[in-house]
Amino acid sequence: MATYGKHIQIGEPVLPAKGIEKALKAAAQKDPRILPVLEDMGFPGIDWWTENYPERMVEVGIAEQNGAVVAAALAAEGFVPVIYSFLFANIGRALNQVRQSILVDRFNVKFIGREGAWGEVGISHNTIEGVGYSRVLPNLVIMNPSDVVEAEKATEAMLQYHGPVLLRQESSPTPLRVFTDDYPFNIGKAYWVKEGSDATIIATGYMLTEAIAAIDLLEAEGLDVGILNMCTLKPLDVTAIVEASERSGAIVTAENASIIGGLGEGVAAALAENLPAPMVRVGIEDEFSQSGLITPERDDLKIHFGLRAEDLVVSVKECIAKKTRLRCRD
Amino acid sequence: MAHNDALVAELEAKSNKLRSHCFTQFCTFEQGHAGGTMSVVDVVTALYLHHIKFDPKDPDWPERDRVVMSKAHCCEAIYAALVELGVYPEETLGTYYCYGSPFQGHADRWSTAGIDYSGGSLGQGLSFAAGMAYAEKLKMILKPPSAEETFLPRYIKRFDPAYRSYCILGDGELHEGQVWEAAMFANKFKLDNLIAIVDYNKWSLDGPTNDVMPIEPLMDKWKAFGWWVTEIDGHDMGQILDALDLSNRMYGDNRPKCIIAHTVKGYGVSHWETRRMHLGRGEEMMKGVREGREKYGDVR
Repeated sequence: MATYGKHIQIGEPVLPAKGIEKALKAAAQKDPRILPVLEDMGFPGIDWWTENYPERMVEVGIAEQNGAVVAAALAAEGFVPVIYSFLFANIGRALNQVRQSILVDRFNVKFIGREGAWGEVGISHNTIEGVGYSRVLPNLVIMNPSDVVEAEKATEAMLQYHGPVLLRQESSPTPLRVFTDDYPFNIGKAYWVKEGSDATIIATGYMLTEAIAAIDLLEAEGLDVGILNMCTLKPLDVTAIVEASERSGAIVTAENASIIGGLGEGVAAALAENLPAPMVRVGIEDEFSQSGLITPERDDLKIHFGLRAEDLVVSVKECIAKKTRLRCRD
Repeated sequence: MAHNDALVAELEAKSNKLRSHCFTQFCTFEQGHAGGTMSVVDVVTALYLHHIKFDPKDPDWPERDRVVMSKAHCCEAIYAALVELGVYPEETLGTYYCYGSPFQGHADRWSTAGIDYSGGSLGQGLSFAAGMAYAEKLKMILKPPSAEETFLPRYIKRFDPAYRSYCILGDGELHEGQVWEAAMFANKFKLDNLIAIVDYNKWSLDGPTNDVMPIEPLMDKWKAFGWWVTEIDGHDMGQILDALDLSNRMYGDNRPKCIIAHTVKGYGVSHWETRRMHLGRGEEMMKGVREGREKYGDVR
């Protein structure tokens, strides 16, 4: 059995959305500046909000561009607007509005962008490119929590931080509960879920669940592989990435999104500039997603994209082989 | 309700002075958005030098009226007003377009004191102005003034918001769908403290605005969106002041206000007027500047 970090206690699958909802409600009771901005896509715990703070809900309708700029103005006047929608809509649809009216002036607007790369809803809603186009935007902090505990803590941190933040909420598949309640979360700080000397999987979001499953398979083959959980995708924790390179000399990144512009590219740049190591990027190749039913027994899209624990095992071995080849050449 | 002639004459003189300040800015790199700036100068003069609540010594005063220059490429007119108000010294005009200058190429909130909105990407300003107008309403809902506070001067008048939100729109900008999203939003939340002013100079970059993409019937459009609308000659100081006053007095009617100001692109400089100059460069620009300087006098 693998030895995990101090704040790891692997449990049952729980939706991260629950953590987000809990943190939002708790913060709203203490901080009257927090305003949900609705784009006709609901809001975490909407009934609770309607009952307790109906006057604080700003419904802008299916008009994300106006919604983004109205939120900017509300932030300019001291409020903390939280825009909840699909990531393709609240940032993607309003990309220029987010850039011009929010990020240029670093207004304190929070985005919760729904959907990872797969789910029943299909190609339109499965936003594989959301992290990519968000990472190039200056002044925007991006977080992609891995489980329900981290989702709660990241939401808390997002609301305390002064400045624009995107919190990606992957709705399906459901990740395992991984962290303990006293897990110390900090924006921009990665967490060592497990240390390992043969290779390191740097995982974000749902892929942490698959990485944990992969560790057991790898251990059975005698490989000691570490996991670094990277919740904050911008700014990346470069120190931890370099540490991973030092410790294991082989890096596999795992993300539930396009490998272009995402975690993999960020890690590759950090490695190349600091301590180069062979790496493999696991994620969605340059293609769009599609519909696919997800049940505990069956997940066609996970197989289609090659994002199962078994696929991670193959990538980790490939990466270790690259490392060995490089060492032989020396 | 007509304003007295002395005030109108004074503001007309100020407006000419603002034009002259604009010429100084155009000279820095022999470049600038001459057409739209000249067409909006009279409205900007009326707003900044007379109508709005604004303290030049404290440009961030929380109770100042907000002014969103949605057609942010014509920020030269606002810079001229800020210089005239003494927020910036006259020398700053010569740094227009320069690296590190508070007078950036497009209106920028953090570079310039007295600018409320960083624009440049058209069509977004009305949403921002509406958001600020809504914030004023929301503050009153979430934290109603105490009995003691209601004795403060600003609450003595029954209908007086802490601040009003003004938005200056270009006519070409009305092609953007987001303007109409914002128009719906303002109507929904009954933003009677929001006043939009359309600088209707009839020309956008590619040609006549109504050929590029017809925006008429403009009055009916705003009316259909639930706004109170009026049309004025945007170069007649008396009419501008009257329209602004009227829109203030109607506060409490639950309707956002729109003033359609009919203007002339490049107004006051025949060289630019005939060419419907949008972005002037080089000799085209300087010919107009020379003509304008002769007409309005060199303030330096």
